[in-house]
Amino acid sequence: MGKEQLKDRLKNARKKLKIEKENPQTSNFGQAFKLSTELVAAVLVGTIIGFILDNWFDTKPWLIIIFFFVGVVAGILNVIRSAKKLQN
Amino acid sequence: MAANPMYQFNVYRIGPEIKIGEIDLSFTNASLFMVISSLAILIIFNLGAQKKNIIPDKIQLLSELSYTFVSKMISDTAGTKAKPYFSFIFSLFMFVLFCNMFGMIPYSFTVTSHIIVTFVLAAFIFIGVTIIGFIKHGFGYLKLFVPSGVPAVLLPLIVVIEIISYLSRPISLSVRLFANMMAGHTMMKVFGGFVVSLGIVGGWLPLSFSVALTGLEILVAFLQAYVFAILTCIYLNDALNLHH
Repeated sequence: MGKEQLKDRLKNARKKLKIEKENPQTSNFGQAFKLSTELVAAVLVGTIIGFILDNWFDTKPWLIIIFFFVGVVAGILNVIRSAKKLQN
Repeated sequence: MAANPMYQFNVYRIGPEIKIGEIDLSFTNASLFMVISSLAILIIFNLGAQKKNIIPDKIQLLSELSYTFVSKMISDTAGTKAKPYFSFIFSLFMFVLFCNMFGMIPYSFTVTSHIIVTFVLAAFIFIGVTIIGFIKHGFGYLKLFVPSGVPAVLLPLIVVIEIISYLSRPISLSVRLFANMMAGHTMMKVFGGFVVSLGIVGGWLPLSFSVALTGLEILVAFLQAYVFAILTCIYLNDALNLHH
């Protein structure tokens, strides 16, 4: 194997390594999984808080409705935040 | 074995019934598999740490690779301040990974396919991170709920939204792991049932699906452990560095 050939192969290998470093496959895949539950969890927490507060203050069904929508907003906020993290 | 695809998630008692007051503390198949995974981790990493060869053998290589993997993950996501929590995150990652992987062995039990197990792990992380945040920043940690540059009119609403968003962390963390593991294992069992019921004529298609699904499930088992650990790092980063 000539010296030039070896240099070329080294260069190619370094380039490949750099590409792999910049786009870690597992990490992206993992973060894609992450987004789905983010929304559901916040809606769930909002609804549960609304339900508990309704039982406390005897205001059925108003607080559960309000907190459901607040939960939706929080869920969308969560998704946007993780999407922003994904971009960086 | 019953054909019911949910039968694999049954928890049953092994050995005598132990009761303290109203609480059932009997040893179950779930506890058995937790003990097996913990013992496997202990044995593998003790063996790996004993020899200090310059050219490592397989077990040493495995433990050194996983050490650098987790260490790099922590420094990438949470910075150098998170170094003291390395041992906790490492044990957490290894425990979830080994529970998931042991669940892939046929006839075994997947501990992480039960939401109470994953929820206890997530609640532990959530409470721990909150305590660390309050220790490091005092009441200044509450600034996490008040983003800067918000008009005073909107502030009460934003604070409520931020609190819900914060409280949803342990739920999303636990539900993600639990749902992935349970859905995957149920699907594998369903396809396995198709193979049996279609017999030697039509059973080949679901069998090939089963093989592909097993590969996918092993990937998911690793990935979910990784996601669990990396989210712990991200939450820790929020508590240590406090910026939103």
